[in-house]
Amino acid sequence: MPKITIDNRIVEVEDGDTLLQSCLDEDLEIPHFCYHPAMSAPANCRQCLVEVGMPRVDRETRERVLDEDGNPVIDFMPKLQTSCSMKVADGMVVRSHRTSELVKRAQKDNLEFLLINHPLDCPICDQAGHCPLQNQTYKYGPEGSRFEFRKVMKPKNIELGPRVVLDGERCINCTRCTRFTQEISGSHQLTIIERGVRNYPMTPPGVVFDEPYSMNVIDICPVGALTSKDHRFKARIWEMSQTPSISTTNAKGSNCVYHVKDNLVMNVTARTNMDVNEFWLADEDRLDYRKFNENRPEGPAIGGQAADWDAAYAEAARLLQSTSGQRVFFLGSALSTTEDNYLLARLAEHLGADAPAYIPHIEAGHGDNWLRTDDRAPNTQGCERLGFSALDAEVLKSRLAGGDIDVLYVMEDDPVGEGLCELADLEGVKVIVHHHHTTNETLPAAAVAIPAAMAVETVGTFVNCDGHAQRLRPAKAIKGVNRTLAMEVGKSRADLHGTPFDRWYTESNMVDCEPGWVSIPAIAERVGLSLSYKGPRAIMAELSEDNPAFTGATYDAMGESGVRLDVTHQPDTHTQTA
Amino acid sequence: MTDFIKDPVVSLPDRMPEPVIPGDELFFTDEEKKQIETWVSRYPTADGAVMRVLWLAQEKFSFLPAEVVQLVANALDMPYAKVYGVATFYTQYFKEKKGKYVFDVCTCFSCQWCGGYDMLHYLEEKLRVHAGETTGDGLFTIQEAECLGACGSAPMLQITNGPYVHNLTREKIDALIDALREGNMPAFESVTLPQDEDELSGNRRTDVDKTTSSVTPPVSETVK
Repeated sequence: MPKITIDNRIVEVEDGDTLLQSCLDEDLEIPHFCYHPAMSAPANCRQCLVEVGMPRVDRETRERVLDEDGNPVIDFMPKLQTSCSMKVADGMVVRSHRTSELVKRAQKDNLEFLLINHPLDCPICDQAGHCPLQNQTYKYGPEGSRFEFRKVMKPKNIELGPRVVLDGERCINCTRCTRFTQEISGSHQLTIIERGVRNYPMTPPGVVFDEPYSMNVIDICPVGALTSKDHRFKARIWEMSQTPSISTTNAKGSNCVYHVKDNLVMNVTARTNMDVNEFWLADEDRLDYRKFNENRPEGPAIGGQAADWDAAYAEAARLLQSTSGQRVFFLGSALSTTEDNYLLARLAEHLGADAPAYIPHIEAGHGDNWLRTDDRAPNTQGCERLGFSALDAEVLKSRLAGGDIDVLYVMEDDPVGEGLCELADLEGVKVIVHHHHTTNETLPAAAVAIPAAMAVETVGTFVNCDGHAQRLRPAKAIKGVNRTLAMEVGKSRADLHGTPFDRWYTESNMVDCEPGWVSIPAIAERVGLSLSYKGPRAIMAELSEDNPAFTGATYDAMGESGVRLDVTHQPDTHTQTA
Repeated sequence: MTDFIKDPVVSLPDRMPEPVIPGDELFFTDEEKKQIETWVSRYPTADGAVMRVLWLAQEKFSFLPAEVVQLVANALDMPYAKVYGVATFYTQYFKEKKGKYVFDVCTCFSCQWCGGYDMLHYLEEKLRVHAGETTGDGLFTIQEAECLGACGSAPMLQITNGPYVHNLTREKIDALIDALREGNMPAFESVTLPQDEDELSGNRRTDVDKTTSSVTPPVSETVK
């Protein structure tokens, strides 16, 4: 591996890497805008300039020339080099802005150029607060501008497509967005038009920027030129708490960050995980967050009448014990966590019922072999690995029609809404439902309705379609006191947590619900089964010990990037994606 | 460019334009396709031929509306957006309908000093249109251009991305317009360099018959 000297520090770097990436890998910041590790380096922002020298080599002997002290003589290149396009070579000597006044000056002047036509509308710009241009100008830029002329006025508030809005004036023409459509998504829907001072990214005539990954350009835009139509002007970045978690729209489990303010999810952005989604996130994952905020239930109900939690648990336990276990039908859920499904299986086993089935959420033709899958549920693989089978609608219908079922226990799903049965089929059946939404169509038939925490409110594990087990972290608080959740909220938000603008502690937007690992043990206790775990962490620890399909999936091992589970235990009965 | 400094507004192109070339005229003939193939074969990838093919399309359709850009993209199996980016980058590709003859009057430094603006304004008055506009009969378009690399024979203009007219005077412009109205395009003309006149017996080119001798341009009245 080549050894290079960066600012008098000798580091070993990967052969073939670019100088900029090597510096970033060493935690040495080099300011840059156009470079993105996943894409080609056009070297057009000119911000990553450094001084680069190579040891002088004797032309005859091909030996390095040494000076009087025995050190190699370094010949510096006559001009500054863009580190993003410079490949590392053994013996290379690099001076960045930390050691070179010249580089410092170049960065400052370059920023002055970039800002010549950049509007100073940071106070109303959505990017302000997490804007590379703003940050780097503070750090490396000049104190003011010497530009005396009118700034160029370019088209503003242009809807490139249904989800992305362009502000041409803010653009610094780094071409990250156009390269994304050319090199990553392949949609080729964007290009830089015009030239010189007039250029900006645009769709060609007759084309709408509507590809299913269009919103990634918002993440990679180093200025506020591309903003989300959905999130525009809704909240400033510093008003929201950011929680690293995973998306729930499909079986890929793309890593994302939930931005939450006052216990409302405001925005979802991509989080890097090279094993799952790399740097990207599908638009559907970003936009499907209203389900966490809207139509949420307010406390449990018995027979449609509001009840308190103890009464609801007691009623559920009474119903479960009112008949033989064989006449209780348990429905697990590909929408809820592995831990909750495991607890449900334990409860079913205790009562002598069959192992739970889960409702498949397959939407044929939706997947694209990238970050979207045919499977629209996040944890189908987790259910499969627990030994649950996909529910056959005919079996359920015939058992209901035959009067074989006295109690139907539905965890975090909606058999009526999914078309597996009709409300009429459920007449005479006592239905216990853990539900996410008041729009759940099974609710009218529910004898006991128990509000369930959603993926952004609970702690748990989802296993994605490739067998990658990943942790969910609570992004927003729910009503009631729960030590485990409270501690996890504090931990998951880590340093980012604690913005005074996020009033997460007020009850106004808290949902009165419980995670499955609270409500199921509460019911189990009342039917004589002790499921007293110290939270989901202990449940997963037990699963990873006892069940070979989950070997290694402890919370510590999963961390922020997850664990790839053993493929040999992947059930072959269920094909996941197209 | 002066107007742009005073009022630096970049307009948004029509994003959903109506097609202007009828569908049954929108194709390359077999002969043209063969020509495109020869150009493509000269480059490692088909993308390399894009400028030449855009040029061919402009000669055929007289300008490059969106559907023609799409036609070129299809012909080269290239992304439409990329071809559109190329077409908008170069001012010599016309994105809208222009007159039959397009005057690119140079108003860059050397020509400006020698009367480029005088010539531009004379043309504007004579044809009764402003720079950037086309005459009502669709014959002439006047444009301001940046340096066209003929400072030695300033002031000058270029006709429809073709021949240069050097050492412009009002009389020369009168004669030029008359000739163009009759359909006579001026021939290509080269101008010698002053140093050549002494050292290389007047010309280092082989096409001596198309060459005129260099003259020292006068300083413009407006800058005197």
